Amino acid sequence: MTGEALLFLFGIAMAAVLLFAMVFFIIMFSDLECDYINPIDLCNKLNQFVLPENFAHAFLWFIFLISGSWMAALLNTPLLIWHINKIVNNRHMFDATEIFRTLPTHKKESFIKLGFYLLSFFYYLYRMIVALLNES
Amino acid sequence: MAGPPPPNFQPPGQRPPFPGQPGMGRPGPPGPGGPPTPGQAQFPRPAGAPGLGQPLFQGQPQPGGFRPGAPQPGGFLQGGPGGPGTPGGQPPRPMGQPGGPMQPRPMPDGFGRLGMPQPGQIPPGAPQPGGPQPPQPGMPPMQRPALPPHMRPHAQSPSSPNSPNAPLVDPATGRVPANFIPPVSGTPPPPVSTAPPGSRASRRAYPQSDPYGGGAAPQNLDPFSAQQQGGSPDYGRPQTPMSAGAPQLGGPQGGPQAPQFFTPGDPQGPSFAPQQGGQFGGQQAPSFAPPGGQFGAQVPSFGGAPPPQHQQQHTQGQWGGQPAQLQTGDSMGNLAGNFGNMSMGPGQPQGPAAVNLLAGPPLLTDLDAPSPVSWVPPQSSVSQAPTSNTDPKYKRCTMNAIPQTTAMLAKSRIPMGLLITPYRHLLNGEEPVPVINPPQIVRCRRCRTYINPWVQFVEQGTRWKCNLCFLSNEVPTFFDWDPETRAHVDRMKRPELTHAVVEFIAPQEYMVRPPQPVVMLFVIDVSYSAVQSGMVATAARTILDTLDAIPNTDNRTKVGFITVDSSLHFYNLNPNLSEPQMLIVSDLDDTFLPMPYDLLVSLSESRAVIESLLQRLGDMFKSTQCVQNVLGRALQAAHKMISPIGGKIIVLQSTLPNTNDGALKPREDPKLLGTPKEVTLLQPQNPFYKNLAVTCSPTQVSIDVFLFSAQYADVATLSGCAKFTGGSVYFYPNFNAARPDDAMKFANELSHFLSRPIGLEAVMRVRASKGIRMTAFHGNFFLRSTDLLSLPNVSPDNSYAVEMTLIENLTTSLACFQTALLHTSSNGERRIRVLTLAVPVTNNLSDVFGAADQFAISALLAKKGVERALTSKIEDAREALQYKLHEIMAAYKQSFTTSSQATQLLLPENLKLLPLLTLGMLKNTAFRATSTVPSDLRSYIMALLYVFPPELCITHTHPRFYALHVLEPQAGLPGEDGQIMYPPRLNLSSEKLERHGLYLLENGVEMFLWVGRAVAPELCKVLFDKPSYEGIVPGKTTLPTLSNDYSTRVNNLIGKIREVRIQMATCYPHLYVVKEDGDPALRMWFLSQLIEDRIDASYSYPQFLGVMREQMGKISAS
Repeated sequence: MTGEALLFLFGIAMAAVLLFAMVFFIIMFSDLECDYINPIDLCNKLNQFVLPENFAHAFLWFIFLISGSWMAALLNTPLLIWHINKIVNNRHMFDATEIFRTLPTHKKESFIKLGFYLLSFFYYLYRMIVALLNES
Repeated sequence: MAGPPPPNFQPPGQRPPFPGQPGMGRPGPPGPGGPPTPGQAQFPRPAGAPGLGQPLFQGQPQPGGFRPGAPQPGGFLQGGPGGPGTPGGQPPRPMGQPGGPMQPRPMPDGFGRLGMPQPGQIPPGAPQPGGPQPPQPGMPPMQRPALPPHMRPHAQSPSSPNSPNAPLVDPATGRVPANFIPPVSGTPPPPVSTAPPGSRASRRAYPQSDPYGGGAAPQNLDPFSAQQQGGSPDYGRPQTPMSAGAPQLGGPQGGPQAPQFFTPGDPQGPSFAPQQGGQFGGQQAPSFAPPGGQFGAQVPSFGGAPPPQHQQQHTQGQWGGQPAQLQTGDSMGNLAGNFGNMSMGPGQPQGPAAVNLLAGPPLLTDLDAPSPVSWVPPQSSVSQAPTSNTDPKYKRCTMNAIPQTTAMLAKSRIPMGLLITPYRHLLNGEEPVPVINPPQIVRCRRCRTYINPWVQFVEQGTRWKCNLCFLSNEVPTFFDWDPETRAHVDRMKRPELTHAVVEFIAPQEYMVRPPQPVVMLFVIDVSYSAVQSGMVATAARTILDTLDAIPNTDNRTKVGFITVDSSLHFYNLNPNLSEPQMLIVSDLDDTFLPMPYDLLVSLSESRAVIESLLQRLGDMFKSTQCVQNVLGRALQAAHKMISPIGGKIIVLQSTLPNTNDGALKPREDPKLLGTPKEVTLLQPQNPFYKNLAVTCSPTQVSIDVFLFSAQYADVATLSGCAKFTGGSVYFYPNFNAARPDDAMKFANELSHFLSRPIGLEAVMRVRASKGIRMTAFHGNFFLRSTDLLSLPNVSPDNSYAVEMTLIENLTTSLACFQTALLHTSSNGERRIRVLTLAVPVTNNLSDVFGAADQFAISALLAKKGVERALTSKIEDAREALQYKLHEIMAAYKQSFTTSSQATQLLLPENLKLLPLLTLGMLKNTAFRATSTVPSDLRSYIMALLYVFPPELCITHTHPRFYALHVLEPQAGLPGEDGQIMYPPRLNLSSEKLERHGLYLLENGVEMFLWVGRAVAPELCKVLFDKPSYEGIVPGKTTLPTLSNDYSTRVNNLIGKIREVRIQMATCYPHLYVVKEDGDPALRMWFLSQLIEDRIDASYSYPQFLGVMREQMGKISAS
């Protein structure tokens, strides 16, 4: 197994983790809508995961960058910029007092990110297979 | 903790007498302001504190508002020429000398609201202010009487003035147009029937004025004159008998303008006359006929003897808290009948009766009109009781008829929402909410709705059908059978079926713990500025005096004190101590309490120690030099102290917290004011206080903030504490207890604040009929679930707004909204207050418009505007407000007007004040485009608007304006019901200001007493106890109580306003005396309240209508 295959294997793993994180977010949001959880708990819980998720994604992007997988890095750049932008503007955390007003936005964002991670999951898979085929 | 508890206070012997201010302790009458007592002298004003009477708006050079350089055709500012004063720089007319042949006196009001001065109106013994003038003998009788302001019975079609002979002379004011040749005395002037319709208005009346630069005088010609040019003869109401009469055309049009030009009694008046006549095509003359067809039309029906009471009752009704049930079943029946008729109206384009807004100045009587109790006749409830629908004071819907389909709702453009004031303070004479204790609280199995008067009994009364989700539930047996007396009872007598507002005593299931006691923890700033301003002493004295009034049933109430400067001081108040012990914590790395108990003690048990502490608190820190404050840490400690129980933290803060957690920077930047970046000053500068509030909310802790600051107080950040915990914000800029007015205001407010009933550990849920969904909530609370508001404390002052939408078409004829407030009352009972509002559903768009509630809409929009401003920009909020109005008007135009009405600006009768109220909001301190409102003040006003109940929102956006120099006989005296009567309201326009006049303006938060430059010396004597105008000191004042009728009445009025305000909003308005040529900042502040005029770069009311009309022109009628 060469470096490239390993790299994309790692990418697959990370994409899967991020995918699960998004699913978790979405489940929590619908819990909030159904009143299974109160907004303060929700925000405390989700806020723990926001920065790790962003860092995980940034790390993946960084790995792609230094390993020269330009295409993969490029694909991830818009999301990275989005994340950085949110952190710079201090909008990345969930605010318990605003959560009901912003819930639709949050859900939409989570769904879009879910889709993105899913696509990138398959893309990394494809790249890994291609890399493996090239090896053999 | 820093070392052992420090020694006790000074030995008792050293205790100086308490430095109290007179009359501060209890909310007393605004009695003699009195000179500062020796005690007050202890609080020298801090260096740099502004002088007495410094207005709130510091150094506010309002640019543009009344541009001095601009040609001012009618501004009263330039020596009052043109306006109500004398045009053309006439020398002031000698007092008491009739200026014109017919004018007994200058009347400020062109719209028929002020009565002619009758001999009886002038207080005996008090020389009539402003040139007393007995009615001229030759005056036609028509001129004399004051018109009752409620020209129109409520249910009556607005467009039915029923008199063909509208008099030429305004019967209300007794005013004759100066250009009008007085008719033969004794005979009512004949109606001038036609104005040359086509005559061009050359606008000579405003010869030099550029429409936007004109300054103070309302530039109100545009829309009106445009109308006139059109010459369309039918923009009165076609169906009125007066339609051909000029009074209808001219009256409304001329009404607003005329007073500017034709100062009665002005010798120049007549010279203007011919011009005027020419310009306005003769409409000017008849324009002095009753403004608005309705006015004139009604005159004869009242004969020559108008019943002034009528009018005052109405005013009273709103103020004095006459319950809206005053509306008898009969009138409600009428309403319902009317409603029914409307629905049956033929054809689609048959909209609700429309009013052409361009036809004249807004009628303020409508502002006081009691809103219709309900569009649903109470007979359709199960019990048919008159109380079966909620009083609008508790809960009102923006629509009194809900559209049946989502499409119709979208088409109407009217925002659907509720305004709920569930825990409102009862005003005098109001019926208390019935409290019941049923064996079981009957609720719907599925949607958990409480049984209410709008359910239906089915299956021979054995089951009830829920009116929200339509599930059929069983009726419990105790509804018909009393097991104790073993007798049959009539279920229709049960309060839950007869009253829409009812309070259940909740059983065990509704408690997660035993009901909490009232807990009040004071966090008092004792740093340098707090002590120097006298805040600490005043607060301590007030709390001491109010201890008895703090709700304390069963002696369970607990209190505690923390004082804060650079360290925290806790007080051991153990009842066994003879003296309180102070514990100083100066190690602030972590939040901890120096003692686990005795910091929060029972008020009854530790009463002596608490009193001892309060007596000394004012002096304890007298020599402090500490300018630091660690409020953030103090609040964390306070939260820690009371979080096991819950309760109220009362923050009294004078210094900006500047060290440790929660430190704030003084960030006020005058350069940002008025720019799009201003909003950054209105948003919290750090999330500390908001996060603190979020942690307080689940532990049932509420924070109320009193801010006193000579400099920047950062209301925007600190109010976050209150906003999310159901608290309130009180703001005293430049507080200085050495000024009796400041001390009185604070003491009265704090005292009422502490003694008012509170609801504790509350949640509020709003339910609505199937198909209606809540989309947003506004107010001070924490939203815990999509429809559950968490309110650690329920303040009686706070109102909550709910926005709603239709998610599916409604299938029933009634839509119901039920609000349940589960709370612990201050007497320790767990209670559920249920408010049920039933609103009919209609499939007719004309009903939707005809039943819309303009006041509720306006209040809802104000709250939405505040939120919009804070999340986006103030400019966006203004645009949104204006756009919403535009949308509603456009929707109405599209649906109901014909192309022949294209030149008019039409709105239904019941929405006709919406443009005025919207304009008032655009010009309100909260939203105005200006660089002169400090961000603190703006934040404060926004915080107020966000929680104000609709009545106060309206008063704040459209202040009440009274003329005091022409008091009616009853005004200021108790009426039949013992309530003080108000004078009639004036339009908010500077054209109402006369040079010799004295006016009172009240916006719910402040009061202004405008003194005209030429005010009669007698008036100064009887009211201010000053020899002349020059002797009157502008600024915050307490009027002396003099032993004359006039002074008594004015003081009564002011006292009444304060009483109502303190009950409704815990606000004791300051009284500012504004002199016509006094402090410019103060004067501009006053003038900025006159919303029908131009202020800064904003529109005057007629201009605003003109803009609206222009926009409407682009929309095709149906």
